[in-house]
Amino acid sequence: MDAPLDAESLTLLEDGLRKTMLSTSGAELDAALAEMGWADMLSGMPEDAIPLVFRLLGETGSHASVLNDVVQQTADRELGATPALPFAGGGWVVWDYHNVADPALGGLPLHRVDEGGLLRLADARRALGWWLVGSSRAMLTLARRHALDRVQFGRPIAGFQAVRHRLAETLVAIEGAEATLTLPGVDNPDLTALLAKAAAGKAALTAAKNCQQVLGGIGFTAEYDLHHHVKRILVLDGLLGSSRELTKKAGAGLRARGSVPRLAQL
Amino acid sequence: MTAFTDVPDVAEFRSQLVAWLDENDLAPPDDHSLDAHHEQHARVLGALYDAGWMRWGWPESAGGLGGPMILRAVVGEEVVGRRLDEPGPYSMIEVLTPTMIDYARPGLAAEMVPRLLSGRETWCQGFSEPGSGSDLASLTTRAEQRGDGWVINGQKVWTSFAQYATRCILLTRTGPGHAGITAFFVDMDSPGIDVRPLRTMHGVDEFCEVYFDDVVVPTDRMLGNPGDGWQLAMDLLPYERSTCFWQRIAYLYSRFDALVGDVKDLGQAADFDMGETYLALHTLRCRSRATQHRLAGGQKLGPDTSIDKVLLSGAEQQLYDTVRNLLPGVVELDDTAWRTEFLYSRAATIYGGTAEVQRNIIARRLLDLGKE
Repeated sequence: MDAPLDAESLTLLEDGLRKTMLSTSGAELDAALAEMGWADMLSGMPEDAIPLVFRLLGETGSHASVLNDVVQQTADRELGATPALPFAGGGWVVWDYHNVADPALGGLPLHRVDEGGLLRLADARRALGWWLVGSSRAMLTLARRHALDRVQFGRPIAGFQAVRHRLAETLVAIEGAEATLTLPGVDNPDLTALLAKAAAGKAALTAAKNCQQVLGGIGFTAEYDLHHHVKRILVLDGLLGSSRELTKKAGAGLRARGSVPRLAQL
Repeated sequence: MTAFTDVPDVAEFRSQLVAWLDENDLAPPDDHSLDAHHEQHARVLGALYDAGWMRWGWPESAGGLGGPMILRAVVGEEVVGRRLDEPGPYSMIEVLTPTMIDYARPGLAAEMVPRLLSGRETWCQGFSEPGSGSDLASLTTRAEQRGDGWVINGQKVWTSFAQYATRCILLTRTGPGHAGITAFFVDMDSPGIDVRPLRTMHGVDEFCEVYFDDVVVPTDRMLGNPGDGWQLAMDLLPYERSTCFWQRIAYLYSRFDALVGDVKDLGQAADFDMGETYLALHTLRCRSRATQHRLAGGQKLGPDTSIDKVLLSGAEQQLYDTVRNLLPGVVELDDTAWRTEFLYSRAATIYGGTAEVQRNIIARRLLDLGKE
């Protein structure tokens, strides 16, 4: 896959990926993605493939170990390995399907390990940013639908300004995060990716809080889908550095530099 | 004149502008009065206009040199980001000029626009009224046809820089409802106009009350046709929220640079707050960049710019909250620019459409949540 895909082919690819992700998850989805040419997509068209695949993981609520591949590719290493990934608080995790008895919150096959090595994380942080944005959109979609359907005091709760403003705030956070993710990181890819992951993590936490509140009791039940997304974003926010940690790191960078980088240029 | 023989690309334009600004000293005097700001505004615009910079991105029919409007954003970023002109006065150009180009008779636009762009004149925008803030369409300043002119009676408020203005783009009521709003281009020295600056909490008397008492305006000063006023007000939002926001963002970044210097003795203790402010400003700047590229690509901007507005007002208040948090006493005990700016930032969620109105628009138009 050498030439960039046109818009129509991208739409077809998106439809195919979405359908697959809605029917499978985990190791099975990894196998399905391999069959669909994930390795070629990642090496041949990463600018399209990473946002697309990771956003769809979020929107569909499925998961696959493709983050490992992004990390490996950045390091010019063979795909298929399970590198130790930094987690919030100075810890390390690996993403693999052994030890299935003890998954992370929400079912992701992440396990603590004692140590890990230095990695370049720009691409992987962007990938996680897209995943977080996808999950956030999924939560907003659920909350919006509920607000329109749920009738209290004789009218849909979407008619109450307090509810509307929470959902509006959520959209602002998501759109802002997406803008940081789509910025080309030409001048400073590491800082651009760090800020994008921080923005996406923060937006996802905002989305989870607001959508949980709008969904009321139903959102707290296991039969309703919201909790999958809420748990997912808590884990993804911690992976490769939490929004809180990355934000602090960005502040430390300003202190070291003595001025503020203008990463976005017209 | 600028050296370009053809429409320049953005990077080339910026590098030549930067070189020109480095060679031509337009630094403001150390006088922070509103009068001094006004003089500096006229001086900077005059120099930029004579050298051609101020004319790029505006149509040739109105005295411009053509080219994409993104060039205007570049000029604004450099001028305001370097603090050569204050963001308030500079932003008026972007709010007023497109309206004139789109709605004034071509002859009037060609005659008047160069006066504004060159700083020879300052204009103001008479929209808000004591009874019409968020609900602008309820405005009651009347215009009645009498002979071959119109007679205006009523009151405007929050009219920025009216005390310096030679003209006003004024919204009036000529009939019921949204379709009963009509805009005029009014000379501020017309008999019957009284301008009274408001004292505000941040101590800068930029906003005025403007009273209209039987003010006669010739018919050829109507902007568009009777009833076009509401559309005129809506049409200027894309400009206000693209090129105009970009200047303000440049200004906020320059102030954030200053804060980085002011908090350096705090060490790590400041990192989280500074990082949060950076994240808010960076998010806003990325969003604004994307908005301008959409506009440049021919897309029509609409309710989506309410997101830009919410991000801007939030980032601005976050910056100045961080100033107060990290530099205790600087707002309360010291008479520095931080005090005035902190106080002014309290208005960021009010002017240009309140944060609540923006969220109403987002809920209704972007999330399609139906009526309240």
